[in-house]
Amino acid sequence: MTSNTTRWALAGAATVTVLGAGRVMARRRRRHQPERKDGWYVVHRGITVDRPVDAVIGFWTDRERLDRGLAEWATLEQLDDTRWRCVAGDPAGGGTEWRAEITVDGPGRLSWRVTDGPVAQQGRVELVPAPQDRGTEIRAELRWRSGPVRRALGLTTGTDPDLGLRDALRRIKSLIEAGQMIETRHDPSGRSPEQEEATDKMREKLATGGRP
Amino acid sequence: MRALCWEGVRKLAVRDVPEPSIRAARDIIVKVRASSVCGSDLHLINGFLPAMREGDILGHEFMGEVVETGPDVQRLKVGDRVVVGSVVACGGCWYCRTEQYSLCDNSNPQPVFTEKLWGHAPAGILGYSHAAGGYAGSHAEYIRVPFGDVGAFTVPDGVPDDSVVFASDAMPTGWMAADFCGLKGGEVVAVWGAGGVGQMAARAAQILGAERVVVIDRLPERLRTAADRLGVETINYAETDVLEALREMTAGRGPDACIEAVGMESHDVGPVYAYDKAKQTARLTTDRPTSVRQAIMACRKGGTVSIVGVYGGLVDKFPLGAAMNKALVLRMGQMHAQRYIPMLLDRIAIGEIDPGYLATHPMSLEDGARGYEIFEKKEDGCLRTVLHPQPA
Repeated sequence: MTSNTTRWALAGAATVTVLGAGRVMARRRRRHQPERKDGWYVVHRGITVDRPVDAVIGFWTDRERLDRGLAEWATLEQLDDTRWRCVAGDPAGGGTEWRAEITVDGPGRLSWRVTDGPVAQQGRVELVPAPQDRGTEIRAELRWRSGPVRRALGLTTGTDPDLGLRDALRRIKSLIEAGQMIETRHDPSGRSPEQEEATDKMREKLATGGRP
Repeated sequence: MRALCWEGVRKLAVRDVPEPSIRAARDIIVKVRASSVCGSDLHLINGFLPAMREGDILGHEFMGEVVETGPDVQRLKVGDRVVVGSVVACGGCWYCRTEQYSLCDNSNPQPVFTEKLWGHAPAGILGYSHAAGGYAGSHAEYIRVPFGDVGAFTVPDGVPDDSVVFASDAMPTGWMAADFCGLKGGEVVAVWGAGGVGQMAARAAQILGAERVVVIDRLPERLRTAADRLGVETINYAETDVLEALREMTAGRGPDACIEAVGMESHDVGPVYAYDKAKQTARLTTDRPTSVRQAIMACRKGGTVSIVGVYGGLVDKFPLGAAMNKALVLRMGQMHAQRYIPMLLDRIAIGEIDPGYLATHPMSLEDGARGYEIFEKKEDGCLRTVLHPQPA
């Protein structure tokens, strides 16, 4: 009888612990989740570029430099004075293509809308002078939706477009400041092809979503 | 080409690897002539900074000859004899513009590791694990140096390879340690660690105006070298109570500045050290801060503690109370190579600093594993093993 009571007590304690741990984890997870607004996921990300606002705008309007910077992952086509069409590959590979329409809203302000892609997405960018002669703050807001089924199954953690945004900001900063993105993937090593492949996967993880 | 690769914790081997090539317009390729071992490599080899992958090429302190330049390289040309700073810097971000090169925003392509660990990602470092960008290192016949115009400096004629190689890391690190101390002339400076960096820090402190420099270590031959070469005073901590000795030497004040040039695998004597070492071996803590603790305790009230020994993670029993209540200034960091190297090359050229004596063990690349062993165990009076990757 005693042992049965002990067993029930232990089972109860275990249940409470599991539920408690689950709640704590859920709360932590929520804290890392993007904000929800009108059915959209919304994130704000910013990066500081050590150049005056005019120079940053100059980068966007210098077609040759922009093309060189975007070469590997996107093409741009001008539609009219304020609108551009952008076709970009999924940076993670997989052959996914994005088509977006970019609109210049004013000096140092532009917005974009994905017209054809796996996830409905829109965003805007604003350039603000940074304090203390620190250059320009590029402030971006990104909104995206995911399908109701994926959301119901909890398959959408909702972080992927966010990681993409952070990567894009880091890339832009590096292209403006250093004229290139640094890359160590092809540096020599004593690895076999299999080891190299595993290392490249790890590199990808360490490169994705990071900020300086 | 041949290269010294990390094959696992405490395992090194020379392997045939592909040659590097120009990957970006600002890259240069350097044919490595001398490549030194460094105490901070030991943390990587021994697995205390867990971001190494099997096959990674080690080495970050080197000099050689430019054999290829990217189209955007302007300051250097093929054939130039150069020394290269260990830290990679783009030259175009705010940190580079303000000469804080080791904090460069754009030179670590894999910033997630250090961002998670430290809050932000500092600059990449050549041959220094995937936490520092995953660059191939210099213990190889050739190395790719990104942003060549920013990181590589032509070397004065007549200075031997095995001397100028230390302008890559040991000298700028030592100089920055002394620079942190804000010396105005007449100070007493204590330096923990009589290795390459400690000795260069001691010399820098002398040049920057310190009246007395005291070097602390446990290896009699290193202390003797420091005393003979630099004319510093020495304390052997294995025989002497360091805090007592420093207090005595300064008539009770304590040194005005304390430089820590040891790092996370610091040694000491006594039970606290045994406890630290056991915890570190069991990976319950990452860093052993023995000499930092001592530096903080020894430093005079209101003095400066300057840390250039490498730490990677968390430390135990850090005497924050002592630092706070004595109103100490704590300064630390990876060295800003590009800021100091040109000035240091000038000082080498006029003979003000001669780091050549640090190269006690020149060796061929093929003997690299043995070279590190001699260096780690401090056998045969070894200060630095310098590898020569080019066939004789």
